[in-house]
Amino acid sequence: MRLRTSPAKLLVLVALCLVVLVELRTALAFVGVSLSIGATVAVGVAAIAALLLWAVRPAGSGE
Amino acid sequence: MPNGATFADAYPTQARHIRAAFWASFLSLGVGAFFGLIQALHRTDILRVIESQTYYTVLTAHGVFLVISFTIFFLVGVFQWAVTDSLERPPVDMRFTWGWYGLMSLGASLTAFAILAGFTDSIDVRANVLFTFYAPLQAHPLFYVGLVVFVVGTWLAGADWFRSWLAWKGDNPGERIPLPTFMVLTTMIMWYISSIGVAVAILAFILPWSLELTGSLNPTLTRTLFWYFGHPVVYFWLLPAYLLWYILLPKLAGGRLFSDPLARVVFILFVLLSTPVGIHHQYLDPGISEGFKFIAMTNTMFLLLPSLLTAFTIIASMEHGARQRGGEGYFNWLTALPWRDPAFTGMALAGMVFAFGGFTGIVNAGMNINYLVHNTLWVPGHIHTQVGTAAALTFMAGAYWLVPQLTGNRLVGRGLALVQVVLWFVGIVFMTNSMYRGGLVGIPRRTAEPQYEGFEYEVAAGSVGELNAQLAIGGTILFVSAMLFLALMVLTAFNGGTEPIDDGSIPPALSGPEDSPAVLDNLKLWVAIAAVLVVIAYSFPLASIVSRGGLFGPDIGPIPVAIDAASTVARTALEAVSAVVR
Amino acid sequence: MRIHQYERVWLLASMVLIVGFIATITYGAVGLGITMVDDRGATIAPDEINEDERFGDPRVEQVGDDEYEVYAVAMTFAFQPDPIEIPADSEVTFYVTSRDVIHSFYVVGTNTNTMVIPGEISVVTVEFDEPGEYGLICTEYCGAAHHEMEGQLAVLEDEEFDLTELEVEAPDEVEPDGEIEITATVTNGQLEAIEETVTVELGDETLEESVTVEGDESESVTLTVDAADLGEGDHDWTASAGDLTESGTVSVVEGSEDDTEGGDDA
Ligand code: HEM
Ligand SMILES: [Cu+2]
Ligand SMILES: [Cu+2]
Repeated sequence: MRLRTSPAKLLVLVALCLVVLVELRTALAFVGVSLSIGATVAVGVAAIAALLLWAVRPAGSGE
Repeated sequence: MPNGATFADAYPTQARHIRAAFWASFLSLGVGAFFGLIQALHRTDILRVIESQTYYTVLTAHGVFLVISFTIFFLVGVFQWAVTDSLERPPVDMRFTWGWYGLMSLGASLTAFAILAGFTDSIDVRANVLFTFYAPLQAHPLFYVGLVVFVVGTWLAGADWFRSWLAWKGDNPGERIPLPTFMVLTTMIMWYISSIGVAVAILAFILPWSLELTGSLNPTLTRTLFWYFGHPVVYFWLLPAYLLWYILLPKLAGGRLFSDPLARVVFILFVLLSTPVGIHHQYLDPGISEGFKFIAMTNTMFLLLPSLLTAFTIIASMEHGARQRGGEGYFNWLTALPWRDPAFTGMALAGMVFAFGGFTGIVNAGMNINYLVHNTLWVPGHIHTQVGTAAALTFMAGAYWLVPQLTGNRLVGRGLALVQVVLWFVGIVFMTNSMYRGGLVGIPRRTAEPQYEGFEYEVAAGSVGELNAQLAIGGTILFVSAMLFLALMVLTAFNGGTEPIDDGSIPPALSGPEDSPAVLDNLKLWVAIAAVLVVIAYSFPLASIVSRGGLFGPDIGPIPVAIDAASTVARTALEAVSAVVR
Repeated sequence: MRIHQYERVWLLASMVLIVGFIATITYGAVGLGITMVDDRGATIAPDEINEDERFGDPRVEQVGDDEYEVYAVAMTFAFQPDPIEIPADSEVTFYVTSRDVIHSFYVVGTNTNTMVIPGEISVVTVEFDEPGEYGLICTEYCGAAHHEMEGQLAVLEDEEFDLTELEVEAPDEVEPDGEIEITATVTNGQLEAIEETVTVELGDETLEESVTVEGDESESVTLTVDAADLGEGDHDWTASAGDLTESGTVSVVEGSEDDTEGGDDA
């Protein structure tokens, strides 16, 4: 399987995703938007899944 | 250093000495991380394997092992490497070099013994005073003796590096001090100026009092002397990380340091400004006037400057490196960075966390906002983003590059090492995010059971249970990451018959020292100015504290931490009753 | 010294940021008058606390219209007084000192937060608008049971708050031919006069009297009953003023000494 990016970059991106999610949830709570744990996890799973899909989709297809 | 040779080839004896310092550091990290895990699970009431009163023995060990032993042993190793490598000469007398290492190890062992003896009743030694050892809480004298011996060891280490530099200067008259050595010398100047405070606190007041030579002391005075040292010590942890960011990171990114002159200015600013700020840890102390607190606040804000300048140089150097590697565009160059390299990625992530933590530091420094967060869990949140990541993660990442140079062995498990630094990054964000939020709703730090009977915390979003879970998950990830790091280090040490990937050479800066005025290298001048600033900032507060509370304080009996909780509670109850009756 | 163009811009921006922070905080201190703990409190040696006029008897005191002072003591591992009751919407100044080690005095979730250092008196002035029960904890490690150091701060509605105390003096035992005297004393710790209806009951006898107690004064009401009217045996009494109540028992017995013991205050 060929990735669109290197596994190392993918790992760092996934980590960044998690981190941004945790901090964003706090930031949103300050402006009065509170995400439940469930919603946060769902957003996280969706974001990471999207990232992984993007990475494994062969370059050039559908573009 | 001959081209292509590792440091271990060029300086085998020095490499052995630096490895010894690193092993002392890594051992402390392992034990400290284990205690961290116990704390994370205990205070959240998720798993309690110890009695709550033992928690404070654990916490004392966590603080001392990590911020005294782990950080300082690592940094003397890095400094020894930086001085030897950049002056291209070994220490003048290796026996002296081993001597200060021996003193530091002896001191650390004595203090560690005094703390760990607290786990058993069979030895009558206790030091459950946390790493700040505020009197009149009293530890066993060995605890203080060990700290003094350790600090004296670091002073001699500094003397060793100055000696190397003077010898080098004799052979290279009129030359600019090589940047790595310049950083080491300025950092040590700051350390000399600041550690005098803790030395006086211990030698003049706390140690004689713990040996019952003096009857009492002035708690505000010893506390103020501690914080005179307590803020600069955070820069003592951080500046070796800065050194690695300035010296190593640009090279790892594939480029060169942007500006040598600016790096020198940054380190001089730290010499001048790190000490006259310690009172910002005492914004809530009675007996210190608002004026002194205000001065500490303004100085602290100016101390942001060298860090902001560092952020610029680091990012500029990384961008330069990325473009050398073929990176393009406004942001696209980021993808051209060597993310596969754990040393690079670890430092880059540490830098990101540091920038974020810097903003939480501004909240602490804001003297009136500080009242909301002082001594809440917010503070360990800040501690772990700064020394616990900016310094610790940079050290671990740096070790992935340095240890192969020091052993001549190839790093084992490069991919796992990448996973390790990424795990630390994720773990720290989980743990500190929970700590920051917990602090804002008033959950205290340094508390075995922050669950009280009389009230509930009012968490704006989520619940205390959720905060606890997040803290425990973060702490566990961190612990796993620390263990993974240690395992890779041990395996690398035994990975004989291999060679490091990198040749160990450090490229010169884009803008070299010749672009800066020579006055930057006039160390005597900076020492003099720093001393004047310290005298201005501290003479009046100290005089006022002594005139209020006396040099040796009002007559307060010692409060040994050895008294067990039950008898103390009983005594308290008695006192309370007698107070009501009378 | 050569400084790159971008470096200059960054340097300038950094200085603006720093000066901005200092200005904001200075505005908070000077403009908004956010005061800090400082050296305005006197010093006091820990072993003189018991003799001290203020800290010997830790308490809440009214010092002006809507102005109160609290003298509190922190020690391993408790606060005195506990609970601390104060009125909402009043200016309350806490004076806190320590008997032993360094503690803190932190009202959870607020910025009422100070270190408490033996030898020093911390002074904090606050106004609570929200009535309610607040947690009061020590956030500085002070020993093995540090985590048990907890008190209560009750902020009461103005109408519910008073500093009224009721004290009763009554004998425990009386001879059958003696007299039983029960004296209820109402003390008003506030500055304004209060009206209280004091009721004292013993057996079938009831005394009800309205008293006006001036600020910082006390008034007493005494009920006298012949022991013979009650007969031998135990007799319960109650005394009340407003929502304060005291009760006890007096025994009428042959051959007793007439010793008197005061009931507790409320
Ligand atoms: C395995 C990783 C770690 C975990 C799980 C961990 C966990 C904790 C926890 C839960 C506390 C709060 C204790 C309390 O206030 O009750 C704490 C405090 C602290 N930690 Fe860590 N920590 C870790 C690593 C580190 C590192 C690497 C450093 C520094 C290099 C560090 C330095 C400190 C310091 C200075 C304190 C404050 C101690 C005190 O209040 O006396 N920790 N840690
Ligand atoms: Cu500080
Ligand atoms: Cu405490």
